[in-house]
Amino acid sequence: MKLFWAFARQHFHATALYRVDFWLRVASTPILMYGTRWVWITLYTQRPGAFGVSLQQMVTYAVLSMAIENLFYTGPQYYMAQQARSGAIDADLLKPLDFHFHMLARSTGEMLFRIIVIALPAMLVGYFLFDLQLPATLQTGFLFVVAILLGYLVNFHLEFLLGSVALVTLEIHSIDWAFHATARFFSGQFVPLWLFPGVLGLLANILPFRSTFSTPLSIYTGVVTGGAVTEAIGFQMLWLILLFIISRWLWERVQARIVLQGG
Amino acid sequence: MIKVEHLTKNYQRVKRREGILGSVRTLFSAEYETTRAVDDISFHINEGELVGYIGPNGAGKSTSIKMLCGILVPTGGQIEVNGLVPHKNRMENARQIGAVFGQKTQLWWDVPVIESLRLFRDIYKVPEAQFKHNLNMFNDLLDLHEFQSTPVRQLSLGQRMRADMAAALLHNPRLLFLDEPMIGVDVVAKERLRTFIQKINREQKVTILLTTHDMGDIEKVCSRIMIIDHGHIVYDGNIDQMRNKYGTQRTLVVEFEEPIADFDAPHTTLVKSEGRKKWFAFNRFETSPSTLITYIGARFPILDLAVEEPEIEAIVRTIYQGSAGTAKVDGA
Repeated sequence: MKLFWAFARQHFHATALYRVDFWLRVASTPILMYGTRWVWITLYTQRPGAFGVSLQQMVTYAVLSMAIENLFYTGPQYYMAQQARSGAIDADLLKPLDFHFHMLARSTGEMLFRIIVIALPAMLVGYFLFDLQLPATLQTGFLFVVAILLGYLVNFHLEFLLGSVALVTLEIHSIDWAFHATARFFSGQFVPLWLFPGVLGLLANILPFRSTFSTPLSIYTGVVTGGAVTEAIGFQMLWLILLFIISRWLWERVQARIVLQGG
Repeated sequence: MIKVEHLTKNYQRVKRREGILGSVRTLFSAEYETTRAVDDISFHINEGELVGYIGPNGAGKSTSIKMLCGILVPTGGQIEVNGLVPHKNRMENARQIGAVFGQKTQLWWDVPVIESLRLFRDIYKVPEAQFKHNLNMFNDLLDLHEFQSTPVRQLSLGQRMRADMAAALLHNPRLLFLDEPMIGVDVVAKERLRTFIQKINREQKVTILLTTHDMGDIEKVCSRIMIIDHGHIVYDGNIDQMRNKYGTQRTLVVEFEEPIADFDAPHTTLVKSEGRKKWFAFNRFETSPSTLITYIGARFPILDLAVEEPEIEAIVRTIYQGSAGTAKVDGA
């Protein structure tokens, strides 16, 4: 845990260097929240009752999805690709750290930083300016946090797997682009998954991507309740365990290759 | 402390084909070629030694250091570092060693030096008291406080090396690997680093293996020198012995009272002649300076004399040249 905070602290310092980038990110969040809210209000005026939930639920879903936009994609794969290309991966292996854990600590540190500096302020702004509702009960709020953390872990492992591949191919951009397009589409960040038709809806329900946005947001807004909540969180855990095992397995192989070939 | 027996490392590299068509073919069926970077080397290093490890580029220095760090697996032979086999106990081994690679920094690029060091403290689980004590020591010896709040990317090369040195020593390692730590560092900074290296070796009994291209480092700092070339160790011993064995060539510089035509003295070669000065090279086993001085002095009036010892660089060059041609490249 101490190491997670240590990495989070490091991000505070690193971010202090890239102030413009940081403020742009902070400023863009309210604009996105405002924009999506406006889109849903317009759609509801045109076709009330076509989207399966109340306008209030939908606005909360949309505004919150923009507020937590920055939590998930911490991007360990960029770090890994960069270290591999520059040969600095040696310095990582030189430290008495399990590499998988090292990346998890780095990413989690960055996520903690983003929660404190971007997501929480954005949620306050959303609450005061954009009709962001509070969760129905304290328990719902708690389950939302659990689902967020599991969603983060599922996504971290997907990105870690990408990074492991990048360590071998030394190329990340095209494959990363494809990953992000797929992940964002099937995560339900922009269009809630219950609006997906037929096969697309089925696919979205099987793939791991819904763990990030759809599951926590559906719990928060009360779209998913009761036994379905346990089911949704169980689904996240299942994917997490599976991805964890694959990550360990793949990393062992990649590391063996690095230490045989020499970076 | 370090035991290395018959250590060998082969690299397999994809053979590149020429042209675009060649690159496409490489995607489907790659041909490999094997290069032997380290070829059957053996040595022991005892606790507290400060060993200079030198050799030309590509001789196998970094490869052997990476194997000692456990981040490269040997093809053959045995390594033991303080009782551990590095590549089998990478993380445990990492706790007892420190390393500085001159070409790459271990610190994080974007954060202030002190933050990087704090992260090292957390990664290596360094107790707070030890952390403070070591920071004070680094302040005294490396003037760390001058640049501790500067991000690593903005440091000068000399400062970066000092910061890297501090990071490598924060957890009090028993063993320190320095892979070309002086590369690109100016004369003043170099002198400080040398003093620092000697100090931690003497006072804290840290065993040090230092690779460098600068013979000044070797002469001033190391008690023992290992020379590697083409994957073989071609010399292992102390510097004086090396001088005796390989540095047999001396030069007698004579300044005469007036300009004199070139002449030969027995067992010497006239290597240079400039105004009233002449340089005679001789092998110290064939003749002695006193014999030469008597011989020359009897013929011409001498104003001044000097005997030049061979520079260590010249000796090492002789050793490199002697070992050339033993390169081994296996096709596979």
